[in-house]
Amino acid sequence: MKPSIIAITGGKGGTGKTLIAVNFAILFKNLGKKVLLIDCDVDNPNTYLLLGGKLENQKEVTFFLPEFNTEICTKCGLCAENCMVHAILQVKDQLPIPMLNLCSGCKLCFKICPVNAIEPSSKVVGWTYKTQIRNLHLWVGELKVGEARSVAIVEKLIDNMKMEIETHPDRYDIIILDTAPGAHCDVEKVISTADYVVSITEPTPFGALDLKRIIKLINLLGKTTKVIINRSSLLGNKDLFIKELHDDGIKTLGDIPLDKEIVNSYTIGVPIMDKNTNFNINGKGYLAFLDVFKNLDQWINSSGGVQ
Amino acid sequence: MDKFEWRCTINLSDIFRIGVVSGKGGVGKTSIAASLGYLAMCDSDIKAVILLDCDVDAPNLALLFKAKDDISNKDLYTTLKAQFLEEKCIHCKKCIDENYCEFNALNWDNEHQIPIIDYLSCEGCGACAYLCPEKAFSIEMVKSGIIKSFTTINDIPLIYGETILGSTTSGKIVSECKNFAEELNKSISAQLAIIDGPPGIGCPVIATLSGLNYVIAMVEPTPSGLHDVIRVIEVANQFGIPFSIIVNKADLESEFQDKFKQYIREKEYDVIGKIPFDFSVAEAISNAQPVVLYAPDSKASVAIKKIYNKLKKKILNQN
Repeated sequence: MKPSIIAITGGKGGTGKTLIAVNFAILFKNLGKKVLLIDCDVDNPNTYLLLGGKLENQKEVTFFLPEFNTEICTKCGLCAENCMVHAILQVKDQLPIPMLNLCSGCKLCFKICPVNAIEPSSKVVGWTYKTQIRNLHLWVGELKVGEARSVAIVEKLIDNMKMEIETHPDRYDIIILDTAPGAHCDVEKVISTADYVVSITEPTPFGALDLKRIIKLINLLGKTTKVIINRSSLLGNKDLFIKELHDDGIKTLGDIPLDKEIVNSYTIGVPIMDKNTNFNINGKGYLAFLDVFKNLDQWINSSGGVQ
Repeated sequence: MDKFEWRCTINLSDIFRIGVVSGKGGVGKTSIAASLGYLAMCDSDIKAVILLDCDVDAPNLALLFKAKDDISNKDLYTTLKAQFLEEKCIHCKKCIDENYCEFNALNWDNEHQIPIIDYLSCEGCGACAYLCPEKAFSIEMVKSGIIKSFTTINDIPLIYGETILGSTTSGKIVSECKNFAEELNKSISAQLAIIDGPPGIGCPVIATLSGLNYVIAMVEPTPSGLHDVIRVIEVANQFGIPFSIIVNKADLESEFQDKFKQYIREKEYDVIGKIPFDFSVAEAISNAQPVVLYAPDSKASVAIKKIYNKLKKKILNQN
């Protein structure tokens, strides 16, 4: 049976996406499920820090790079003329100059050069990692600093995941995808592949506005979402905030209050929900996590996900 | 293109551009940008200010300022998308068989024997339009964002951009916002622009950083906060922009504090200020005001005012 794919997103940054993704992965593992956690926030991958582990098995992610053979090039200008993103600069009767940061990788220049003077070469734009921390399988993508094309790394992770599911459909029961903040193409790619989308927000006007934008994107991609309100006790407006979400027809999985133990677990790199730790299993953060997780598990079971 | 224009315009005015970034999201960029902006607006030593929100995926800065008058809204058409022209198609399927599209945006509809364009995946590169022997594709500009602007306290303009969901061009919208601000500044001749940046280190952050005079890097004393700020500082360094650090939630109780402080010391980062955890910051957001306005005597506001005064010296020395 194919794994259930859960994306954790939310629009606003710093609402607790990674915290919740990591602890959900741990909770599924505690239930005896085979879990894969994929960190798709390639600008700032933090899952392994919250799990207290290291990145291993580095693999380069490369991106197309046109290389001009200056001996063959007739300076005809066809490549520069047809490059929609203006990544090839050419002054009349001079050799073309590639502007690599603008290149989208469409390879049109390579495909149309009449004398085959363009070689498809590649450059490293980031890396993927595969590691195992706390008996949890973790894949991480990382954008190289100074590179702009983060979506190439996200696509690599998603391709790897699809390949894994195709070749080993039974290897994982649950795959959790942690997304970047925002509502841009990186986040889009991840949400598009998910069976379940969980959105994390906080009870402030910032949280509410960004949540509405991400829900719009989720719906545009033909998916639905359920919301978790993190730091719900921040302003004492929890009930009103949740009521307003419900009034807008937004479904929720529950809330997690401010909790010193959660902050502590976050800073020492030990997930609060892991077994055999010193966290208080009657603490408010711990209990809230259990509750929210129970609702997620029910959602998946009731929609015919993991048995 | 955009980048080039931006480079041209910056030489025309001597506005001092400060960007607030952090790598990690939710570290307090918007709260700080709003408060520094507010202090500058009320400061008679500073000749006019422009506020700019470049977090085009989640623009929140405008929530903290009351709009007085709308300046203008501008639709942006920066995204290209392929359109399929069915009447020209002879169903040869070359577009699929010869792999015209590198972005998997072309799929074959077996029933109708025509290609279907996946709108979200299409990058508008024009390969299909160029390569199709029947010219059965065209490339069109589509609406990809909006720039909104209004005046607020003391007639200070606030500008923010917003992407159209699914149009996938955050970086371009950021550049357009900055161009818009530069254009507006021709009639204002502001001394200072405060720019609220997006999270991350990718395309929109690079577009935000380009052309800045100064960067404020926000960090909180957690492993992920530190990890992410180091990455964004590296990007700022590649641009050669001077920066200093604000430690937010500086008094967070955590075993990581010692490591954090040691790292900052060893790197000799210029820490321009530390802001303690303070509920009034969240309350100020809830009340739609910068914290220095909402609770001027709170711990956080006192710390922010100190930071502003240090920053002001840098601004005045520059001009």
